[in-house]
Order: sequence, then structure tokens, then C-alpha cells
Amino acid sequence: MESERKSPVVKDRTYVLVWVGLVILTGITVSVAGMNLGRWSVSVVLIIAAIKSGLVLNYFMHLKYEKRIKLFKWMIPGILAVLILFLGLTFFDVAFR
Amino acid sequence: MEEYRDTTGSKIGMWLFLLSEILLFGGLFILYSVYRFKNPSAFHLGAEELNRPFGAINTLILITSSLTMALSISSVKRGDRKWSLIFLMATLCLGFVFLGNKYFEWAGKIHHEIYPNSPRLLERDKGEILFYGLYYSMTGLHGLHVLIGLVVLFIMGALILKGKVNEAHFIPLENSGLYWHLVDIIWIFLFPLFYLIT
Repeated sequence: MESERKSPVVKDRTYVLVWVGLVILTGITVSVAGMNLGRWSVSVVLIIAAIKSGLVLNYFMHLKYEKRIKLFKWMIPGILAVLILFLGLTFFDVAFR
Repeated sequence: MEEYRDTTGSKIGMWLFLLSEILLFGGLFILYSVYRFKNPSAFHLGAEELNRPFGAINTLILITSSLTMALSISSVKRGDRKWSLIFLMATLCLGFVFLGNKYFEWAGKIHHEIYPNSPRLLERDKGEILFYGLYYSMTGLHGLHVLIGLVVLFIMGALILKGKVNEAHFIPLENSGLYWHLVDIIWIFLFPLFYLIT
């Protein structure tokens, strides 16, 4: 019971600010897609999506505040490493087939 | 006698489940990237036919529902069950609107006879068939997650109402929130990858 009380309480103001950030980033994504950046547009759009996910993970999902256990710090980079490894291996196969 | 609860354990358990969800969708994203790499122009044509405003509005709806979810949890932590319920109901409503939009979107496509294995789709380029196959399976799987999330949130609402989720015990609501936010993150990637291909 005690440990549940200790879990962090994030200020409501922080949540609203994060939401405003997410809305602005969504607007940027849509307008970037309209600008026709050619081959760069995929990277720009993916970078913005990654920033948005970072906001959701750190603030809404409290990853930023989970400091007691080291696992929380490494699990997202870990799972991304696994995905990138498999993506790389797949493209290695597809490109040289 | 006080009930024994392992809060940290249940949170880690939830996160492990979420990581397996990331891998589930990750596999589909890898498939998507290979097919898009091989059929860039067909994917572009397919994306042109999707309704961009619909996708953008659904993104805003899910982002807002994540905000109300977070506010519902922070309200219950403060002991304010009334506002927690109000924010939870708002999250539920937004989730329903999201699914409603999805329904109209799919119904529109199916009305134009574009669905997996439809004769009109099979006449098209191979890349476009792949695009629509991925579109239906990935947004469909995501929609299923939204639906499951709605059921879970509904149960949480009942638990708050009964007082079983309160300021001393809110881990079930917090874990449901984690799931809801993950579903939001997946849509954050699905939206630009399907609707905004240039």
C-alpha cells in the first residue's frame, strides 16, 4: 500500500502542456507532408513521431519519473535495438537477394 | 489485516506486456517498410486515396483521450473520484468517436469496393494491393486494441464507482492508462505512415 502512495504525482499543468506540444507537432507533421520535401519527408515525419512518442512515454506514461528501478530506463532503448536489428537484417536480405 | 500488494511487480508486468505489443506491431512495421521500399509509387498512390483530414482528426482525438486518461489517474491519486470518473468517461467517449470515424472510413473504402481480395482491388498494381492489405490489417489490429482498451476502461469506471479503485489503490487504473497511451503511440506512427506518404 505504502509504495502506491509514493508513486509520482505529475502536475495537471504539465499534462496540459504536453498535450499542447503533441497537438502542435501533429500540425507540423501534416504541413510537412504538404510541403513535398521528397525523400526527406519520411525521415522528418518519423523524427516528429519519435518526439511525440517520447513525450507520451516520459510524461503520460511516467517513464521520466521511474527512477527506482533501472529496468525502466533501458527497456525502450532495448526494444528499439531489437526492432532496428531485425529491420537491418531484413533489409540486408531484401537488398542482396 | 492488510492485503499484500506488489505494486512495482504489477507495473513491471504491465510494461513487459506492452513491450511484447511493441514487438507485435514492430513486425508489421518492418513488413510495411520492406513493401514500401519495393513499391514506393504504389504506396504513394494508395495514400493519396486515404482521407487525410479523417486521419488527422483521429490523431487529435487519440492525443486528447491520452490527456484525459492522465488527468483521470492524477485525480484519483488526489482522492477526487468524481473528477476521475468524469475524465475517464471523456476518454471513453473520445475512444468511441475514434472507432466511429474508423468505421466511416472503412465503410467508405468498402463502398468503393476496395477491400482485401475485392475484384476491383485485384485489378490494380501489386504494390497497391499490398498497401491496402497492410492498411486494413494494421489499422484493424490497432482498432481492435482501441476496442479492448474501451472495455478495460469501462471496467475501471465501474471499479472507481464501487470505490475499489481509490487514492490508496490505483494501480489497475494506472496500468490501464499505460495500455491506452501505448495504443495512442502506435497511432502516432500509423497516421504519417499511411496517410502522409509523399
